[in-house]
Amino acid sequence: MASGIVASDSPLPAGEAGFPPMIELKAVSKSYVRTGKGGTVLALDAITARIGDGEFVSIVGPSGCGKSTLLYIVGGFVPATSGQIVVQGKPITGPGPDRGPVFQEFALFPWKTVRENIRFGLTEQKVPRAEADARVDELLDLVHLRKYADLYPKELSGGMKQRVAIARTLAYRPRTLLMDEPFGALDAHTRALLQDELLQIWERERKTVLFITHGVDEAVYLSDRVLVMSAAPGSLKADIRIDLPRPRRREELLLNRRYQELVIEIGRMMDNRH
Amino acid sequence: MSKSLAERLGPLLVIIGLFLVWQAVGMMIGEDYFPTPIALIPAMRTLLSDGDIWGDLGHSLWRLAMGFLLAIVTAAPLGIVAGRSKAVRDFITPLLSLFYPIPKAALIPIFMLWFGAGDLSKILIIYLSVTLPIVYHGQQGARSVDDKLIWSAQAMGTGRLGLLLRVVLPAALPELLLGVRVALVIGLIVMITSEMIVRQNGLGYYLFNSMDMAQYKLTYLVIVIVGALGLVLDFGFELIRQRLTFWSPRQREPMVTEA
Repeated sequence: MASGIVASDSPLPAGEAGFPPMIELKAVSKSYVRTGKGGTVLALDAITARIGDGEFVSIVGPSGCGKSTLLYIVGGFVPATSGQIVVQGKPITGPGPDRGPVFQEFALFPWKTVRENIRFGLTEQKVPRAEADARVDELLDLVHLRKYADLYPKELSGGMKQRVAIARTLAYRPRTLLMDEPFGALDAHTRALLQDELLQIWERERKTVLFITHGVDEAVYLSDRVLVMSAAPGSLKADIRIDLPRPRRREELLLNRRYQELVIEIGRMMDNRH
Repeated sequence: MSKSLAERLGPLLVIIGLFLVWQAVGMMIGEDYFPTPIALIPAMRTLLSDGDIWGDLGHSLWRLAMGFLLAIVTAAPLGIVAGRSKAVRDFITPLLSLFYPIPKAALIPIFMLWFGAGDLSKILIIYLSVTLPIVYHGQQGARSVDDKLIWSAQAMGTGRLGLLLRVVLPAALPELLLGVRVALVIGLIVMITSEMIVRQNGLGYYLFNSMDMAQYKLTYLVIVIVGALGLVLDFGFELIRQRLTFWSPRQREPMVTEA
């Protein structure tokens, strides 16, 4: 291991950087029944990790390592085969408004306008009308979409769609954001723009973020910690603290020696096939 | 989106062309068996003013509407639920497979036996025929709803019923309405067929009756009227469908023409 990077097989105990635990993954495994052939395939192998309250944690790994599946399990959308997800001390039993997902495919409701999409969760949560209206306006400003409030998703670009999706999730104030390669479908310029916007929002609101990506530079730029997964069956290979100062600025960071080392080191880990 | 003049006039030109061919062929064969459209014009005038046909048209449309509304009210929810519930799907799939290939007209004698020769048996046979495509397409639509739409709503606290009504139904609507459109055409066919078999009133009855009485011009006219009815219903439904699914990225081009 080069240049003092902490990499170990067992993740660091929570609280080490001053974050009380928000999400605990306790030996989470997932196996699939193989269609046709019979038997099962192990996709996730006893993943144990802790994510602190207000911590920004990325999970990187080669495609097919099960990192998205892990996020779906934390969201409560997909059941684990064994193991447990504990959120704020309570084992989860399904999805909940405490964990707001943002997907690579945006997953907007195409029959609703930008405004109606952002409002959806507030209506479902029975937020009073006036309060919901005010909240929607606030979010439209936050993601710079006020001008486009009455357009339908099919009229928007990819970057705008993802802004709507982020606003829709932020609207109902989840304590944790679960982001599944949220910028993976965007062009490089838009991706950088949205990364910066996400960082600004995070600096202000300090939500817990679990961020799935295969972009190492993206993970290092955004995160407090990066968890590296190995390919099939997915297991945690390393847990790396990103000790870069905040607030982070892209231009400064790109020239930062430590940033470069981290990107190179984590990149190497992902290339190793064990 | 505006269309060029040629695109707008295209369908109209095809119809005019069809009438010209008809006129030419009729003039060659002889008008006794194959009256030309021009020869039909005076007959059309007497038919429409005489008033008989309106009553039959009314009876036909009434039965079609009843069978159709009954099917939408029952089959659409069944299809949507079947798309999301494996238990319901496992129950109705064998039934669908069994009934789908049976020509519904073949069931008319049995329906007459059970429900008499009145409106009821005809409404039920229309209902049965249009139910299947609506259930089938509703199920397809509900089944193919993106998991992530469902998950997004679940994370916002949407419950099971809310999910069906506020997420699955609208998401499945484009596919469901495609099924309804297919059902409309099938309903029209079964409407006419049932009236030809159970001869009491309606357009199908009028058609066969005019044959029996050797009023061939009337026979041709009724065929034209039935064709026009199909076009008008399909076009009208297409307008509704587009209005309901304008937001869909997969909005398909309508078959006939665009509003």
